[in-house]
Amino acid sequence: MSETEEVVRARGVKKSFKNRVALSGLDLSVRQGQLYGLVGPNGAGKTTLIRILCGLLRPDAGEAVVLGWRVPNFRIRSQIGYMPQEVALYPDLTVMQNLAFFAELYDLPREQLKERAEELLALVELSDRRGQRVGTLSGGMQRRASLAASLLHKPRLLFLDEPSVGVDPRLRRSLWEHFLKLAAQDVALVVTTHLMEEAARCHVVGFLNQGRLFAEGSPEQLLRKTGVASLEEAFTRLEEESKVRT
Amino acid sequence: MKTWTVAKHVLFRIGQDPRTLILIVLTPLLFVLLYGYSFSSGRPTHLKVAVVNEDSGLASVRTAELGRITLTLSLGAKLVQSLDRELFDVVLHDKPDKIQEEVKAGKYWAGLVLPKSFSHALANEALRERGPQKTTYQGRSVELLPPETAEGALATLYLDDSNPVVTSWVALSLNEALTRLVAEQQATPTLKDPLDVHALYGGQVSALDYTAPGVIGFAMTLITIMLTVISIVRERASGTLTRTLVAPVRPWEVSLGYTLAFALVSLLQLGELFLVSHLLFHIRFAGSPLLVLLIVFVYAIGLQGIATLLSTIARNEFQAMQFILVLLIPSIMISGVFWPIDAMPTNIRLLAWCSPLTYANSALREVMLRGRGISGVALELGVLAGFALLMLLLGVRSMRRQGYSA
Repeated sequence: MSETEEVVRARGVKKSFKNRVALSGLDLSVRQGQLYGLVGPNGAGKTTLIRILCGLLRPDAGEAVVLGWRVPNFRIRSQIGYMPQEVALYPDLTVMQNLAFFAELYDLPREQLKERAEELLALVELSDRRGQRVGTLSGGMQRRASLAASLLHKPRLLFLDEPSVGVDPRLRRSLWEHFLKLAAQDVALVVTTHLMEEAARCHVVGFLNQGRLFAEGSPEQLLRKTGVASLEEAFTRLEEESKVRT
Repeated sequence: MKTWTVAKHVLFRIGQDPRTLILIVLTPLLFVLLYGYSFSSGRPTHLKVAVVNEDSGLASVRTAELGRITLTLSLGAKLVQSLDRELFDVVLHDKPDKIQEEVKAGKYWAGLVLPKSFSHALANEALRERGPQKTTYQGRSVELLPPETAEGALATLYLDDSNPVVTSWVALSLNEALTRLVAEQQATPTLKDPLDVHALYGGQVSALDYTAPGVIGFAMTLITIMLTVISIVRERASGTLTRTLVAPVRPWEVSLGYTLAFALVSLLQLGELFLVSHLLFHIRFAGSPLLVLLIVFVYAIGLQGIATLLSTIARNEFQAMQFILVLLIPSIMISGVFWPIDAMPTNIRLLAWCSPLTYANSALREVMLRGRGISGVALELGVLAGFALLMLLLGVRSMRRQGYSA
């Protein structure tokens, strides 16, 4: 994998909000075609990290380079996709109207929009809901529509903040299959989750807590290193070890 | 340029939402209708006043030729008759000792007591003021002479002065009636009008005309700021703003898109406000409509800047409303909309000159009431443009930070 391009490189990234430290000197490396799982409890700093990498937040210290540009940088915008934790769609507009607006922001030509939208709606199984207002969809459907909006412009690097919350197990499986398919097409994906069964499907998993990445590796590596049966146990074990070290 | 994409999107969403659409179209209408109908007459009507007329109608006057003669003048009755029946509901009363009490109890706005000697006192007072007057008495020409002593108060007025507006109308109108009565008494030429008045605008500017530009400006301020702040706060809370700011769109394009969309909405509302107030209440509109449009457009852009700033500070819609109230209510009070800035204490006046509404109001008045051209409102337009530019820059800066705080 070392010959592939490094699409995300973070070194010593720190970020605090008022009196709370969100990231305390974090290093991260994500390569092209990688499905990278960020795993950690609530408040571990996952969302802050993603926001910095998207260019929404400026780090207090350290640097983050995304697609070859130190962020925040406008040039990466058209090549990254971001699915926030919130639904982040206009509830008063239909699924299609939402997609059309964001497509226009990404300069997607009108002729391509229809084709692309149909393709994505089929993927998230919302083809028959394209004319329905987002506000009237169920929670899970809203998240799926949100995912479709993030994929419209075929980003090279995709940040997905808890993509499978509220999505039923069957569809979750098909979404993750799609993520792997994207990765096979050389798209890099950074996915946050707190579900270990999802983490197990990632190429690389980073364990995050209290603003620090305390362990990183493929799921197999992490299991082997700790000699436990599940990633859950591995997380606990490695976290304890890192505490002893510091 | 994504500005237009954003603006189009904002306008499209407004068009999609019947409630917002109704708010945009009906609020200005309601404003104008309520305001226009409540203030269009500009004066109160049917104020209940009680009059006790005990006047004997007789006046004893000195003459050069015949000594004292007695004239029958019935001035009390004439006064009662000449009272403005639109302004006053006159109730004839016969208990002068009760009247003060009843005015105090709120039964009447005023109680006028004309004593027995009313005609006598008024006639002599008039002579004292003007000097000897010639008239005919029983077929003979006589000269009426002024009295040797002053007659004192002619009548007693009990006035409920708890409402200054009503008080001034009552006092003014009664005084007018008395003056007229005195003037009519003598056929001889009286004093010419002491002031030679030239009304520059033909006396055509009513109180409604005077306040209308400010009220229209205020209505616009309130509605556009509320709409903008709430929609931006909502976009931030729902995450759509974050999604937009991650896309290849510059913060200034987003900010400008919003500004453009809501400035267009403001213009629409303005057109409605003017049309309705012109058609229904015949608001004076002396100047160029295009100039008015320009003033309002520049002002609206400044408002959008304020709105964007407010939306950064406000965490939610509730806080946004609080900021709007704290900012807007004082601004309408000090901007000279109802009360002339020249009549304010100096320190408040300084504050007034800091409020953009002051300039918008002043410029609109100059154009609408006086018919001034662009050079006549250059100062106001300049200040408004500077303000708009500053607010726009600050708004863009805050938009850049919007994504963070979501």
